[in-house]
Amino acid sequence: MEGNKLRNSKIKFTIALSSALALVFAAATTSAVNAAPKKLKDIRIAAVVKGLDNPFFIGIKEGIEETALKYGVFANVQAAPGLNDAIGQANKLDSLAGQNYDCYIVIPISSNNLSQAVGKITKRGKTVINIDSPIDAASLRAAGGKVTSFAGTDNLAAGKAGGKDMIAKIGTGKTIGLIAGLAGNVTSNARIDGFKAGALEADPTVKFVGPENADWDTTTALNKANAMLLANPNIAAFFAANDQMAQGISRATGIGTKRIYGVDGISDALTLVKDGKISATISQYPYVMGQMGVQACIIAAQGGKVPASTITPYYIIDSSNIDKALTNKSTRGFFPNQLPPGKYSNPYASKIKK
Amino acid sequence: MSVKSSRETASAEAEAVSKSKLDDLRVTFRDPFFWSRWLVVVAFLLIVLVFGALSPEAFLKTYNLNNILVASAIPAIIVVGQTFTVATAGIDLSVSSIMTFGAVCFGLAFTNGWPLYQCVIFSTLAGLACGVVNGLIIAKRQVNDFIVTLGMLSVAAGAALVLSDGKPRQIIDERMANIAIDEFANIPYLMFIAFAIVLAAHFVLFHTRFGTHLLAVGGDSDAARAMGISIVKIKVLVYAISGSLAGFAGVLAISRIGAAEPAANTAILLNSVAAVVLGGVSLFGGRATILGPFVATLLLQALSNGLTILGVASYYQYVAVGVVVILSASLVRTANK
Repeated sequence: MEGNKLRNSKIKFTIALSSALALVFAAATTSAVNAAPKKLKDIRIAAVVKGLDNPFFIGIKEGIEETALKYGVFANVQAAPGLNDAIGQANKLDSLAGQNYDCYIVIPISSNNLSQAVGKITKRGKTVINIDSPIDAASLRAAGGKVTSFAGTDNLAAGKAGGKDMIAKIGTGKTIGLIAGLAGNVTSNARIDGFKAGALEADPTVKFVGPENADWDTTTALNKANAMLLANPNIAAFFAANDQMAQGISRATGIGTKRIYGVDGISDALTLVKDGKISATISQYPYVMGQMGVQACIIAAQGGKVPASTITPYYIIDSSNIDKALTNKSTRGFFPNQLPPGKYSNPYASKIKK
Repeated sequence: MSVKSSRETASAEAEAVSKSKLDDLRVTFRDPFFWSRWLVVVAFLLIVLVFGALSPEAFLKTYNLNNILVASAIPAIIVVGQTFTVATAGIDLSVSSIMTFGAVCFGLAFTNGWPLYQCVIFSTLAGLACGVVNGLIIAKRQVNDFIVTLGMLSVAAGAALVLSDGKPRQIIDERMANIAIDEFANIPYLMFIAFAIVLAAHFVLFHTRFGTHLLAVGGDSDAARAMGISIVKIKVLVYAISGSLAGFAGVLAISRIGAAEPAANTAILLNSVAAVVLGGVSLFGGRATILGPFVATLLLQALSNGLTILGVASYYQYVAVGVVVILSASLVRTANK
């Protein structure tokens, strides 16, 4: 018992000490370093993203690398060995933590898996920027870690915007079919819930069929859409939680000219919007997340005050702006539109000293 | 006898001795067992030297070596179980899924308010149960181990998803986290646990009757049966050990990432098979070492750590790890001819 108490007090002391150190460091970055800000070419950034077997994260990687090139800072982008390799990703971040990087950009595979590694980085007095998926606050606190800034999407808001737009296009009193991703998936739930909220706000009389889970898969979504149309011929439009599933719905029998909305903005979906096969894709911009991550790192290294969190942009891409969206072509990624086809707020860019 | 001639004899003798020593050395170097035993150590030292020379300010720091040990601990425990199955000329492809299943069971018990030690026992028992099923089907029904454990890979992964409803379960517990964070004499607690298991396994394999019987079954199962060894008993025990170690590794995985994750982690499986082969364990059974695969685990983690530190792009890292595995395996193979 006594030993336990001693141990606990020792742990508490360590946590207190490390947070005190973090505070001192934060103070140092905002005041002392201001006197001698790091030159752009001396800033070194390390990033650990999710597995590169998903185009979304290739888009983020591209955003980090090209933005680093633009500002002339150094960036080393590493990925988890696989989309599910939570431990492997923690090992990667640990490997980079011991080196002389000024700042670390991280996207955790799960809300907890990088907390300990981030804790170690915080104890070494380095900056951590979290993009895309947030690290759980409680587990971060337990590990003594600190995230200086978060930049990610708001799936709920994106869904909501889609719902409002859909009602504006199809009119009131209609029935909408909903197709979700994997059961219990956080992203899928946020998008579907957001869509329903947005549609209900615009038209309290709207009716929904579903959501049916199609596991993010094109063929499954096609089968589900066929079944839903058979059972409810009055469905006027469909909303799918991602573009692959919207693509599946577009091949359903008897779909005719019913409106279909997807989410993501992948290359295939943009082509389908251009061809009129699906009505709209609520596009997200992984490239912009990578860009903002690098910019946040630069601000921190220059001793500036980094905005605590930012929602990255989403845009409804339909026939009205598809041509503009297709002109922002990326050379490599599956996300052809690196930047949105219009204005978006970036609180970081203006804070960087050239 | 003249002084001169005695001197001549002496020098001739010395020459003969040195020649025979050289021959001894030559014989040793030609001995396949020597190579399969020491190749992994040589390769490990080589990798440490190369990365140490390329990036001395980052790779050879205590802080980083500590990272390598933390990263190696969980794979090292899985590898012990894999070594046992391979030593009987079998293989356990379900280790990574059983680990996930064990972690999910731990999460269930923990959120139901069980004391920590009971959670640990529960997840180890969950792994044990999977292992026993593997072993019984392989030994009693004489189904190919590859197929049975491949099936179990899917069953355990599915069971983990069913039990957790596909959602990770957060486990915030100071004691659990400290296992992964704390260290003694610069060596992480995780590594002490792994090394204790490695030593125990070494003892079991080389200093108990069970170990001798196990190697006999692996070497020639017909001869072993003729000697009165129960093949079924050995096989079931071997898969039970592999399963329990995987279940227990699930506990350490939770301590490392702070959550019971239902998603299967296939990297662990590939790693375990590669480490067993690199470590000089014969895939045909009968010949094994515990320390070899352990060093091989350190090697694979050091390789991945070093490549990350050098900033080698992720895509090339897969290639590099694969090349090292194939190269070393083929070296052992040529040496064995």
